[in-house]
This record gives sequence, structure tokens and C-alpha cells, in this order.
Amino acid sequence: MLLGIWQWLSSLRLAPSYLFPGPMDVFRSLREMAADGTLLISIRLSMGRMIIGYSISIVGGLAIGLASARSRLFKETVGSLIMALQSLPSVCWLPLALIWFGINEMSIMVVVILGAIFSIAIATESAIRNIPPIYQKVGRVLGARGFVFARDILFFAALPELIGGLKIGWTFAWRSLMAAELIRADVNGVARILQTGREFNDIAMMLAGMIVILVIGLTVDLAVFGTLERKIRRRWGLEK
Amino acid sequence: MLERYAAFFMKIGFLEVSKSFIQDNNAEIKVVQALLPLSLSVSEGEFICIIGPSGCGKSTLLNLLAGLEKPDTGRILVDGVTVNGPGSERILVFQEPGLMPWMTVAHNVEYGWKLQGVPAAERCERVKKYLKMVHLSQYAGTLPHQLSGGMKQRVSIARALALEPKVLLMDEPFSALDAQTRDILHDELQRIWQETGTTILFVTHNIREAVYLADRIVIMTAAPGSIKNVVHVPFAHPRKKSSTELSAFSAILHDEIKQEVDKVAAKELGREWLADNKPPIPGETSADVGAGI
Repeated sequence: MLLGIWQWLSSLRLAPSYLFPGPMDVFRSLREMAADGTLLISIRLSMGRMIIGYSISIVGGLAIGLASARSRLFKETVGSLIMALQSLPSVCWLPLALIWFGINEMSIMVVVILGAIFSIAIATESAIRNIPPIYQKVGRVLGARGFVFARDILFFAALPELIGGLKIGWTFAWRSLMAAELIRADVNGVARILQTGREFNDIAMMLAGMIVILVIGLTVDLAVFGTLERKIRRRWGLEK
Repeated sequence: MLERYAAFFMKIGFLEVSKSFIQDNNAEIKVVQALLPLSLSVSEGEFICIIGPSGCGKSTLLNLLAGLEKPDTGRILVDGVTVNGPGSERILVFQEPGLMPWMTVAHNVEYGWKLQGVPAAERCERVKKYLKMVHLSQYAGTLPHQLSGGMKQRVSIARALALEPKVLLMDEPFSALDAQTRDILHDELQRIWQETGTTILFVTHNIREAVYLADRIVIMTAAPGSIKNVVHVPFAHPRKKSSTELSAFSAILHDEIKQEVDKVAAKELGREWLADNKPPIPGETSADVGAGI
């Protein structure tokens, strides 16, 4: 229905069609990009960065979160620093990263990692603190210690709450990546479609790019994290 | 000298063990004495019930023995070796079943063995054996949240037994269950104890439960906890719940424990409570009511 209104509005010609394209134009633009491979290459590039950057964020975030949940000293030093850094949009690290790591993939990766790692760390810490003490006691009584204890008991006991943090981390990483790709005019990726559209004054292409970004974000949110969350909650007996 | 004696003659020895906690109430930090120095010896295969008013440190006693807490003073010996941290020869069963919700019943039961690197085939055998012991064989692949409260607690007992501990510690394991389930589990526990010959320390605030299960009952004083009296229960196992002897015995113990419960009530409820009830005067009634039996 909304699509219909959009088509109708654009057919009224209140504004020239190059400024306000209808859904048909946007769809045509999408199909063109799909046909010449731009779309696939862009998605693959961006998702590649996401998968590597986000994976590193998970490992780092879990480690930092665990350390600050278990050690008061760590929490009061590194933990409070992280709390402060969390307020800084991670794309602000880009200029620094460009100088430190050079004009390459690394500097984009840094922005993605820093976008997700702190929120994952904070979520991990709170999830571990909220674990019912009984699981920790049982784990210790049964003989779990050190790394095995963290892996077998803490991780799984924290998982239902943790998954929410991982989801937020993904969203932050995705936003950071888009911002970084937009600023870096020299790299390809999904956000590059917007830049190209702007350079050619092709608003249909820009809208198509925005739709791609939105759809990827929604798909991962609902399909991947939504399903995972439901499965975990059901297995844990938190919902039928 | 005392330690020598301990190592030779008893399964478990508490030697002048005391414990205090730091209570942090935002405004003030104070030290609460949970246990005054106490000594207790338990022989192999004995079933000991520990009973006392709430907050008397009876759970602390088990946590110390399980190695979850460290005593301030004194030592705890098991087979002559000082307890230093948790160990698979001393397994604690809690009031909540505490089954890992992400593991199936079978995985819960075998987890302790998995940690010790026992091969899967052997673990599988043990899981079968101990699930059968608690009559839950057909639930091996079930997830904990699909079980009733009583079934969960039986799995948690199977999980503890599966490690074949020398000492089984139980902290009010049946108090969250309904009366019928509790009765069934009392019978099962009595049978399992006779089958396995495990030494059991069982914390409860239910006198009849203690009289039904225990060889000896340790009565603790109101906080700070110490041992008020140790009562031998002179009836042979297996016992019958309905027996009049047990009822009579419970009644005698009840009076003794009431004194300690009254102290706690007086402290918590203050004057209001004192007006309605005659305040207990320590020493007025014989402190050793049950001792002669």
C-alpha cells in the first residue's frame, strides 16, 4: 500500500523524477546493479568486513566482559574506560586509524571492531553478573575450574541475556561499517552504492543502496538473531 | 594429638572450625560471626542430620566442607586430608536442583565425569546406572525444564551420586518440594544410602525428616552457630514414617530445638513477641533433653 502511495506521489510530478524517483525507478536501478554484479560484489565485500570484524569483537568483548565481571580491579580501571569510550561513535576512530594503520582494509576493520566490542563487553559483564548463583556453585562443586568453568558454565548460563548484547553489537558494527565506507571514498562496499549514486546524481540508485543496507540489517536482526534468541529461550525453558 | 586422632578414627573431622562473614550494608560494614569454633567428627557411612533455627550457620557448615568457603580458623579433614577447595569426593546437593538448563538430563548427570576426562562409553554406563537408581531412566534425553520439581531434585541427586563421592552433602534438598514428593524422596534416599554406604551430611529444619533419616542429629544453637547437642537416633534402618517411636522421639527433640528457634524469634520480633510468649531462659529447662536417649 505504501509502495502504491509512493508510486502515485512520484507520478504526480510534483518534483522532477530525478529528484524524487518512484519505486519502479528504484527497482530498475536495483535490477541493473544485480545484473552487472555490482550488488553482489558490494555485499560480499561489506559482509566480509562484518564477519571478520564482528568475530574479533565477539572474542574481545567476551574476554573483556568476563574479566570485568570477575575482577573488581579490572572493572574499575579498564571497565570504566570502556564505559566512557562506549559514548564515542566508533567512526570517530577512523582518522586516527588511517594514520596508525594506513589507508587500507585494516583501518575500516578497526572501526567495525571498536563499534561492537564495547557494547558486547558491557553486555557480557552484566549477563555474567546476572547468572543465578546456583549454576556457579554447582559448576564449582562438580569440579569445573578456570577456562573450562567460563566456557561450560558462565558462557551458557549467561547466553539468554548475552544474545541480546551480541545483537546490539552487530547493529553497532553494521552502522559503523556503513559510516566508515561512506567516508572512505576509495573502498568498495554497500555504502559505495550511495556514493556512486551521489556522484552521478542518481537518486534512484541512492535509494536502492539504502534499501539494500536496510534489508541486510533487518535480515540479520530478525532471521539470524531472532531465530537464535527464540531457540535459546526455548531450550532454556524460558518460554514454551 | 587431636589431629592424629582425627586422621585415624573418623571420616570427617571439623577441628575448631569457625567462620565469619563481612556484611556490607552500604552505610556500615560489619562482621557477622556465622560459626563459633566447633568440632564434630563423623564416621564412615554415617547419616548425620544438622538441624537448627534459620541463620544458625548450618548451610555454612556444609559450604565449608564442600570447599566453597574457607574457614577463618580451624581445619576440616576428610580421610585425614585437609579440605582445600571443592573436590569430587565431597559433592553438595542444594535446595534448588540447579540443573544446567542447556544440558539434557543425561548430560547433567555425566558432566562431573566429563570434567575428569572419563571416556564417553563409561560415562554412558554410569548415567544409566544412576538414573535408574532415582527411577528416571526414560528421561535421559529430556531437558530440565520439562521435568517436575521432584524429578529435577532426583536428577540433581543422581548427578551427585554419579561422581561416587565419599561424602554426600545435602543442604535442605527437599524443603522446596510438596509433602508427597518429599515422602517418596525420603524413602529413595534411605534406600540409596543403604545401597551405596555413602557418608551423608544432611541439613534440614524439619525435625521429623531428621529423625526419620539420621543416625545422629546435630542440633545447633541460634546464631552465632555452635553445636548445642548431638543426639543419637536409636532406631534401625529402614525406618517407617508412621512408627509411634519416631513421633515420640520427634516430640522430645522439638522442645529442645524450640528454645533456639525462640531465641531467633525474640531477636527478630522483639518486644511484641515477648509479650505473647514466655521468654526462653537458657538453663531453666534441661539443655540435654535428648542426650540420655
